[in-house]
Amino acid sequence: MGFFQKPFGYEPILTKDDLQQVMKKKKGPRASDWKSTLLRLWKIVDEQRALLIVVLLLVMTSSILALVGPYLIGQMIDNYVMHGELTGLGKGIVLLIGIYMLLAVSLFLQNFWMIGIAQQTIYRLRTSIFAHFQRLPIAFFDRRQHGELMSRMTNDIEAVSSTLNSSFIQVFSSVLTLGGTVIIMLSLSPLLTILTMTIIPIMFWAMRWITRRTAPLFKEQQAAMGALNGMIEETISGQRIVKAFSQEERMKAEFQEKSLRLKRTGFWAQTYSGYIPKVMNFLNNMSFTIVAGIGGVLALYGHVSIGVIVIFTEYARQFTRPLNDLANQFNTVLSAIAGAERVFALLDEQPEVESASERKHQLLGHVAFKQVYFKYEQEEESYTLKNVNFKVEPGQTVALVGATGAGKTTILQLIARFYEVTKGEVLFDGINVQDIDRPSLRSQMAFVLQDPFLFEASVRDNIRYGQLNASDAAIEEAAKRANAHDFIMKLKDGYDTILAADGREISQGQKQLLSIARALIADPKILLLDEATSSIDTVTEMAIQEALDTLMQGRTSFVIAHRLNTVHNADMVLVMHKGELVEAGSQQKLIESGGLYAQMLHSSSHHLEE
Amino acid sequence: MKEIFSYVRPYKWTAIFALCLMLLELFVELVQPLIMAKIIDDGVRAQNHGMIMQWGAVLLGLSFVAFMAGIINSYFSSHTAQSFSYDLRNAMFDKIQSFTLATYQKFSTASLITRLTNDVTQVQTVLFMSLRIMLRAPLAVIGSIVMAFFVNAKLALFLVIGAPIIFLFLIFMVAKGVSYFGRVQKRVDRLNRVLQENLQAIRLVKAYLRGTYESTRFDEVASRLKFDTVKALRIMEYIMPVLLFIMNMSLLAVIWFGTKQIAAGTTPLGDIVAIVNYAMRMTGSFSMFAFIIIFYARAKASAERMAEVLSTENEVEDTSFSEEISHDMRYGELTFEHVSFTYPGGESPVLSDVNFQVKSGEKLAIMGATGAGKSTLLQLIPRFYEVTAGRILVEGRDVQQWDLQDLREVIGYVPQQSLLFTGSIADNVRWGDEHAEMDAVLQATMQAQIHASVEDFPNGYATKVGQKGVNLSGGQKQRLSIARALLRRGHILMLDDSTSALDVKTEQALWEALSEEHATMLVVTQKIRTAKGADRILLIDAGKVVAYGTHEELLQTSTLYKKIAISQQEVEE
Repeated sequence: MGFFQKPFGYEPILTKDDLQQVMKKKKGPRASDWKSTLLRLWKIVDEQRALLIVVLLLVMTSSILALVGPYLIGQMIDNYVMHGELTGLGKGIVLLIGIYMLLAVSLFLQNFWMIGIAQQTIYRLRTSIFAHFQRLPIAFFDRRQHGELMSRMTNDIEAVSSTLNSSFIQVFSSVLTLGGTVIIMLSLSPLLTILTMTIIPIMFWAMRWITRRTAPLFKEQQAAMGALNGMIEETISGQRIVKAFSQEERMKAEFQEKSLRLKRTGFWAQTYSGYIPKVMNFLNNMSFTIVAGIGGVLALYGHVSIGVIVIFTEYARQFTRPLNDLANQFNTVLSAIAGAERVFALLDEQPEVESASERKHQLLGHVAFKQVYFKYEQEEESYTLKNVNFKVEPGQTVALVGATGAGKTTILQLIARFYEVTKGEVLFDGINVQDIDRPSLRSQMAFVLQDPFLFEASVRDNIRYGQLNASDAAIEEAAKRANAHDFIMKLKDGYDTILAADGREISQGQKQLLSIARALIADPKILLLDEATSSIDTVTEMAIQEALDTLMQGRTSFVIAHRLNTVHNADMVLVMHKGELVEAGSQQKLIESGGLYAQMLHSSSHHLEE
Repeated sequence: MKEIFSYVRPYKWTAIFALCLMLLELFVELVQPLIMAKIIDDGVRAQNHGMIMQWGAVLLGLSFVAFMAGIINSYFSSHTAQSFSYDLRNAMFDKIQSFTLATYQKFSTASLITRLTNDVTQVQTVLFMSLRIMLRAPLAVIGSIVMAFFVNAKLALFLVIGAPIIFLFLIFMVAKGVSYFGRVQKRVDRLNRVLQENLQAIRLVKAYLRGTYESTRFDEVASRLKFDTVKALRIMEYIMPVLLFIMNMSLLAVIWFGTKQIAAGTTPLGDIVAIVNYAMRMTGSFSMFAFIIIFYARAKASAERMAEVLSTENEVEDTSFSEEISHDMRYGELTFEHVSFTYPGGESPVLSDVNFQVKSGEKLAIMGATGAGKSTLLQLIPRFYEVTAGRILVEGRDVQQWDLQDLREVIGYVPQQSLLFTGSIADNVRWGDEHAEMDAVLQATMQAQIHASVEDFPNGYATKVGQKGVNLSGGQKQRLSIARALLRRGHILMLDDSTSALDVKTEQALWEALSEEHATMLVVTQKIRTAKGADRILLIDAGKVVAYGTHEELLQTSTLYKKIAISQQEVEE
């Protein structure tokens, strides 16, 4: 029996303990997990109830027609064919042609509509996940691999999709056939019916044995698929680094490892699923033998007629076929549940906190931090920001300086409310940020991020991202001010050039120019510039400085820049050090006080001149 | 399809064995009705209890054989199918790893992801099914036809009268299906792309409040996917009803003409009944048959997409003639000779006629306006792209003569966008040299001025870095990626404006630490101050070298350089 323990060297995945756990859980939350997952799925399917009812009616029609056909043929053979009577037969055939046409049409239509229902459900699932993504806090995305999330949208949903397409109709028609057969059987001989049914407990037991294995395996399979997807996405996106460091071989090895995990779970899931039809077949034959054997004995004592037994054995076979189908469908449904659970897990993620007191607010431009403490993860011991206090008047330009990792970007992210403070308050015009409606807040801000990101779209649309209804003229104007117009015109199709996913047509600095143009067009009340010009050469930077200066006029602006001369006209400088605000004030004041800022200025002008 | 299925070859024996088991099962299934008939006729009808027991035992025995065959088949088929898909996935991934950066442009990341997962699954499913059940349906159909011909060839002819039509119809449907499902997979690519883009740009989307806008964009690709999936599946749904209808019509023809023959007395009734029975059995397998066709079409579409990846020709050939030449003599030397470069598919040259030489251990600063071609220049050295004209010599040898692996081995590259990977900080630094001792890692991180920051993290070097290093600050990421390159201890160190997010003090310390390096250094920078520390400065503008020399020389000769210097208040106007 060694083969069955470790076939082809596949290590078993489920241990005895695992199975016992599954079994224990099965009575409690486990089974209800399935139910609730199915129920949630059903709710989406049920949105198309009218169409669903039509499909069900069609399934009924085709099930009946499928039975009527053979019955009529039997009649025809008895009544006409046997006697070679052509006129009656002709009528019968015409009737049958009609029936078969109806059958074909009803089969086609039920599938036609069911596909529509299934794919609509899938579409709804997909779009609701995506919409939910838009509501999730940034912290959620920090923790996840992109590829893993993408896998849920494709591979997991695919598992649900293929089941929905076919299972619904099959389950329903199986149940119909099963019900019909049982009624006929009962009318023939209740005793034999009960005999036939004796296999049902065995069947249940066998199904339990199998699904107790397949259900967790399906889940594991989807998870392995997700992990693999995550790795592929990261490796391919970072291919340049992989190549630069000649890590191809290591990546291959790592991929093979992840791929092997998928292979292993796939093997066991598929193997155990493959048991089902075989077990069912075996049970069918057993039930036949039981009916024939015991029926024979019964007939001996005259309890049933021989004719009944003969017919009955035929029905017994018909009884088990839909049971078979149901068993297979049950397993398919389990694989769909494994996918659906992962999808719903995403939908269950807590969206960005919204307090009841939130309201729209027209920003004036006051920004204040009051004893703000912040850490990215609850579990972290040390704070990224510690007791940060400052107050900015409308229209002021604030420069954030300090060593890397001092918390500058974090401050900007808190102003944009990407994260919630751990302690303390962020105030806009004296109102706690948590009491301001998030969309209203962000619509009055523009953010130029450290890593400029461009979409796979035209240059024009990328700038337009800042203000969706901006006119083409306004876009060009913004591009000119950001000093991007010239290089844009040199691109293949000018403003209509579609930027590739990796944006290789344009350089990092040019990307920054485009992000600045994007911010220019947004016309915000508060402007957040995080290293907005770090990759731009200083000559160009000077050229756009003017544009930035005009942009900052009348707006409260926060600027992070390492080249200190780029923040020359800041009204206030906030000096950060290891999460603490160590100095704040006008440049003049800080230089005079001779503190950290003064030192930084000093060192920057003596840089490399030792 | 052929190319993809050649990956089954290593498992042909397990596959064949699985098929044999399936045939055994099928055989038992065909015998079963005969035994059942025996039980009914000789046992039940004849009230012979012994017969029932005897044949019942035979039936159960045979069923048990079929059962075991089925179970074992399950192992062999899934082993074949899983190994096949495993090999296929790995082969594709290996292939993708050998792509040049130019080749990547042909496929989007999202599309490669779909091909490696979703498409593989499609083909794998079909293989598994073929080994287990699929062949049954065609076999059952063929078996029934053969039997029907044995009974009465003339009448059986009516059963196959529709066959040519069915055949043509199926060929047509498969062709349709392949193209429709191919389109569906493309839609999946597109969906993946939009999703990936959004995940990457999540901060931007939130900052500009474009959640609804993005949702609309996503809705569009999702609904296109829905539309095309529905279309493909619906087209496929014609198969079963049409097959059934043609078959049923043939059945009616059999009855009609059969009855005529009965009337004429040429055919016995039994023949008709038998043929009708066979015909009905055939229709029973038709739903399975339709199912097969659909799956086959779908798998074929996926297989074509995978073959596309596998058969992609790479522009760069991995020349592996790394002769044992001692490059120590020209350790770290780099020469550009009349190098011109245009991106594949691009129109205008990004670099034209670039000439310079960096001697062993020298430091070259590369300056130039945004978009001048600085990063591109660096990327030509490890042969990410091939030069369009001219040549690049690394340690005296043309880069095209280098074994790619060896070439990249001697280069430490710090890209402009510091990209880290999911894993611990130590893992990320070890990209530079996976076998490096912790001491070497520490040395690199100290040199890169990141050691102290790492020590400050609660988990130190074991701190997990999120995808692309999201939980680190820009400057931390840059320094880690510098440490990664330093650990490589390459002969040439290339830094592509990789200190932009560093504060002046840290940067200064970094340059000081780097001054001890023997490696030849190429530093792309915006800062005159950094450039001053270099042995030579290469100033490029619009892809052309406009000035080359030391800081002092350039101040004298180049107006552009002077302008830059003025912009940074490094010299008085």
